[in-house]
Amino acid sequence: MLANRRRGHRPDDNFAPELNEPIVSRRELLEAGAVAGAGALALGAPEAEAAKRRKRRRRIRRRVDVVVIGAGLAGLTAARELMRDDRSVLVLEARPRIGGRVLNRPIGDGEESEAGGTFAGPTQNHILGLAAELGVDTFPTFNEGENVYFADGERTTYSDTGPTGTAPPDPSILPDLATVVTRLNEMSKEVPIDAPWEAASARDWDSQTLEQWINENSASPRFRALVPAATRPIFGAEPRELSLLFTLFYIAASGDERNAGTFERNFNTRDGAQMFRFLHGSHEICRRIAAGLDGRVKLRTPARGIELTRGGVRVVSKRYVVRARRAIVAVPPVLAGAIRYSPGLPASRSEFTRAMPQGTLLKVTAVYDRPFWRDEGLNGTAVSLNGPVNATFDDSPPDGSPGVLFGFVGGDEGRRFRGQSEADRQAAVLRNLADYFGDEALRPSRYFETDWPGAKWSRGGPVGIAAPGLLLAHGPAIRQPVGPIHWAGTETSNYWNGYMDGAVRSGKRAAREVMDEL
Amino acid sequence: MRRPALIALALLASLLAMAPAADAQRARFDTRLLAKVPAPGFPAMAYVHPNGRIYAGTYVNPGGDSLRSRVLEYDQDGTLLRSWTVPGQDLSKDHGVQAATSDAQGRLVLLDRTPSRALLLDTDTGSFREYSTFANLAPCPPLEARTDCSPTLEDRDPMANYAVWGPDGSLYVSDFLQGVVWRVPPGGGAALGWLADRRLDGGEFGTTGLALAADQRTLLIAQGSSAGLGALNPSSGKIYAVEIRPDGSPGELRQLWESRPADLPDGFAIARSGRLYVPLAGAANQIAVLAPDGSELERFPSSPGDGGNGSPVPFDTPSSARFLGTRLIVANQSFTGNRDNQALLDVEVGEAGLPELIPGLDREAPALTRVRLSRKRVRPGRRVRVRFRVSEPATLSFRVERRTRRGWRETTSFTRRRGAGRGSAAFTTRGMRRGRHRVSVRAEDAGNNRSARVTRRLRVMRRLRG
Repeated sequence: MLANRRRGHRPDDNFAPELNEPIVSRRELLEAGAVAGAGALALGAPEAEAAKRRKRRRRIRRRVDVVVIGAGLAGLTAARELMRDDRSVLVLEARPRIGGRVLNRPIGDGEESEAGGTFAGPTQNHILGLAAELGVDTFPTFNEGENVYFADGERTTYSDTGPTGTAPPDPSILPDLATVVTRLNEMSKEVPIDAPWEAASARDWDSQTLEQWINENSASPRFRALVPAATRPIFGAEPRELSLLFTLFYIAASGDERNAGTFERNFNTRDGAQMFRFLHGSHEICRRIAAGLDGRVKLRTPARGIELTRGGVRVVSKRYVVRARRAIVAVPPVLAGAIRYSPGLPASRSEFTRAMPQGTLLKVTAVYDRPFWRDEGLNGTAVSLNGPVNATFDDSPPDGSPGVLFGFVGGDEGRRFRGQSEADRQAAVLRNLADYFGDEALRPSRYFETDWPGAKWSRGGPVGIAAPGLLLAHGPAIRQPVGPIHWAGTETSNYWNGYMDGAVRSGKRAAREVMDEL
Repeated sequence: MRRPALIALALLASLLAMAPAADAQRARFDTRLLAKVPAPGFPAMAYVHPNGRIYAGTYVNPGGDSLRSRVLEYDQDGTLLRSWTVPGQDLSKDHGVQAATSDAQGRLVLLDRTPSRALLLDTDTGSFREYSTFANLAPCPPLEARTDCSPTLEDRDPMANYAVWGPDGSLYVSDFLQGVVWRVPPGGGAALGWLADRRLDGGEFGTTGLALAADQRTLLIAQGSSAGLGALNPSSGKIYAVEIRPDGSPGELRQLWESRPADLPDGFAIARSGRLYVPLAGAANQIAVLAPDGSELERFPSSPGDGGNGSPVPFDTPSSARFLGTRLIVANQSFTGNRDNQALLDVEVGEAGLPELIPGLDREAPALTRVRLSRKRVRPGRRVRVRFRVSEPATLSFRVERRTRRGWRETTSFTRRRGAGRGSAAFTTRGMRRGRHRVSVRAEDAGNNRSARVTRRLRVMRRLRG
């Protein structure tokens, strides 16, 4: 955070505090001994030891059937399933809030805007089913009117009812768009959804990046420029960072057991993954699950270590020591890898968590008195070759009051963006929005950013990404339990990996694995 | 998986299989797409495990591929849960795997094409173990049928394709190409020829199904064709019955049913009523229903050919059927390689299947004892805990009913799985009306319909004022 501040990255006081925490806190540095000398000076070593011992004594000891680490959608779902089966559960959450990468932020008048996972769509029956069970209604994402396409300083509008869907029908890219999307869809059908590394061409596909493949299979420079505009919001990454095999798996995962995944279902709003929103925001689902868990979620309790014991596991956090027969680790791989395991995890699992970073994605939100873009017949969806905002959506409440636009800033744009001053960032975003929707966009009543890469307990978003070589070498470690430790989180899902639906699926699957054993 | 956990899961699964209200309203032969099977595809069989989940192996791709076979695990709604890749296959030859049955420890029994072997898959650890191997038999001399040779016209490789447990723990395994039924001794080891018969020579379309009848001493054997000329009408399939004699030797093979030409009956299932549901993987693309005496009752769909069943996926080489409650789970192999049709289909038939014999898996009803309520009289809004002791892992159904003028009326119900020993479950009396209630607890093995039930009385009193 200090470094961020130096670069002008200031926390938003209205925002959830954990997003403003430094990646490594001063306390952790102290504990790690990085400033051991200074510590020793401030506090004599015996006294420090005694203080440590006192602290240890104060830890609350609990014994449960299952300890769940992470109160995101996956962890909460797992805990809910286990509790419904009358298992004793305790959920340890590092943040001061629940929800993980699902988060609402207030925008005034009791309304909220989703700062994290937002949408659901056809074939995402697990998140939709869960919402229905909890009484959280859905409503269609506002999609009446034209989409905006902005390229090289020119704005054009188009309807997403055309053959390209949400992708812009730019004549200069159409041949490549049609060919590439068709080929990717066809290739994705050859990817086993449950084991992409077993695909016949896995070795070939996991030896190249998406960018390499696009360069070999497209001719139009503008099309090649459009591809990052798609990968930044979808993965928070550039095409050069993504394994082709991982990309194909992601497309294959954009479906369910009855409907093959397609790029269109992933990317589109109409009949696609952005088709629905949740009334009062997606975080409402997490709130309701947590309410049903009846105090079993412990906030501000990061799990520091997991020890395997004769009876199962012993999970140590600053405030709690939990003994359980099974543990479900429901945090992103990069965070799961930061937990100390004793004995250590198998090499493949360790390597997998080490090599799967989160994408770099920020969400920027501008609130207006009303959704003025609708007057112009625009639906708030924009695809742009110009950054920092490459994609926007209308995030207004169902009644359109207030009007809310949010945009994704990802990949290289996200990294650049994070290095700018707050004023420069806001100006750049509003300039983008004005280019897409008119100058009225320059005057929001409220503006805020959600910096997921800067969030200590997320380290990025929306999903862990795989560079070439990772899936082939360590893919099987994604879900394979290690003794009594089971893995959940959207990255472990087969279908809708990276989405809320995938998180729910993974939570259910991990709970079942555990219930088999208890 | 530990056995207690397995049994508990089995009970839950069976209960769930019986319970869904939606299924109760489904019309006979209402067919739904359960799940498409991802690459490498070609599901030849879907096994319904006592834990209630469905396991499908990916089988031989007639067009050839170099993909290792996998076993996919689905829940009853068709959600893909996990998968395992089969080790040690010879990818240069035809390769594929079928999940054929499971053992008392819950491990899946897999039949592998190349090498020809049976594997045990522990789904908890993902570990595989070889259970048996099937020998490549030389052809028997003409008109001879011995178990140490293959009574077929041509020399063919072994191809184990269906397996069923005998009462003594032997595993009987059919061979698609070699005209024999194998017997694997209890505990595993090399398979020995048990039954050899010229009528099991179907050329390229041989033995295609094996099941143990309700008497647990008769094996039913499906034959895709008699192309080896061991029986009349070589293009029609048959179902035979053979007794397992008390000394373990086979009795006389007798024909129960003969299909129409080119029907290719495959992977049939037996209902509790004794009726047989026989997928026809040939040109018919139907499911034939046979009476216990072998007479054909009906076919679904009624017209052969296109396999239209009302679901988005027609029957396309339907290769096996297994009961899940009153539903048949049909594996659609799509031999021609239509990836969109390689799927598991869910066909409501309105009757339950014959429980599978798995030696060692305790099929007796669990004993339910020491059932106590934490309170016999309770005010609304309080919790009542039910304590009990159950002899083995079981699915426990709790039902609270209120006495009304018209009899007992359900107030609340829920199910829980519990391991052997003491256990408890609680419910709240919030919203309950005052009066006499009863709490019934049922420890259930719904797959066998054996259950123990205990009822206790509960009186809900008037709410305290203030």
